[in-house]
Amino acid sequence: MKIWTVMMQILLIHIFLFLAIGLKQLLSIPLPASMIGLVLLFLALFLRIIKLEWVEQGANWLMAELLLFFIPSAVGIVNYNEIASWQGVEIVFIIGISTFIVMSLTAFIADWIEKKKGAHVE
Amino acid sequence: MMILLVTVITYVFYLLTKKLNKRFAFPLFHPLLFTPLLIIIVITLLNIPASEYLDGATFLTHMLGPATIAFAVPIYKHLSILKKYLGLITISITAGSLIAVFSSYGLSLLLHIDRSFLVSVLPRSITTPIAMEVSKEIGGLPTLTTVFVIITGVVGGIMGPSVIKRFAITSPMAQGLALGMSAHGVGTSKAMEYGEQATTFSTLAMIFAATITIVWGKLLIPTLVAFI
Repeated sequence: MKIWTVMMQILLIHIFLFLAIGLKQLLSIPLPASMIGLVLLFLALFLRIIKLEWVEQGANWLMAELLLFFIPSAVGIVNYNEIASWQGVEIVFIIGISTFIVMSLTAFIADWIEKKKGAHVE
Repeated sequence: MMILLVTVITYVFYLLTKKLNKRFAFPLFHPLLFTPLLIIIVITLLNIPASEYLDGATFLTHMLGPATIAFAVPIYKHLSILKKYLGLITISITAGSLIAVFSSYGLSLLLHIDRSFLVSVLPRSITTPIAMEVSKEIGGLPTLTTVFVIITGVVGGIMGPSVIKRFAITSPMAQGLALGMSAHGVGTSKAMEYGEQATTFSTLAMIFAATITIVWGKLLIPTLVAFI
């Protein structure tokens, strides 16, 4: 029964995708349809046009299995011979270092602001 | 037919990897590293061209759309968090996205990376479809940018837990913002292991990062590119 609910809810979420695709073409919004769909679903929940229970289980499944949907793009990397070069190795190295810097500094900045704010309130 | 086959095989390998990952918790078993490796090995052995596999994968790739939309749910459930932390999120992610662009730029200059690679790597820290748009706008190669975005996700997803542990980042807010800012959707999927609050912050970080990076693509990056 749970699988059935999840599937129906994913279909309901698709309606927001189609609405978003339509809206994007109509107004030529420079954002991907999925982002527009996210805003639409949020608004529908916020304005109580749909109930949280109608999409919650389907959304939870989609979010939990998100990595599955990225796998084809990762397989697609084999099509880029440029990566199999010294330059490719260097760029992977750069991405690694840069990602590390972004991750740790973002955490530090967020932590720092939160602590400062906390101190301010006291 | 191919679509069904590819979907089923990918799903089975993915479940297998998740099991291995749970059992051994070894970075190699990250689903975005080990599953693609398995698939590449299998299609190479069976002499199937990668393009044929990718044609069959349209259903899986399509599901990225609904999966992104699904993240409206945690945001809605934790709306009070968004209101309370709006300023903090804006500052952290503005800084984070600047750091992402400048560190990629600086390191690439340092290692004398070719122009097309350098330009394409700049929007690598944000979600694929927007990264492609920004890449086009700044004169990069959108497909190459996709590759860098995925590498960023894999690397970020793997290093995330060690960074959080090593630097003792205990607040779900900082955990989520760091993961979503540095590794977009893949980081957000990692954030789900840290609870609903971290997931919400990570989702918000991903959305803010994408939006702010569109602005950098118009205002800042063209100036940087002009210096190469």
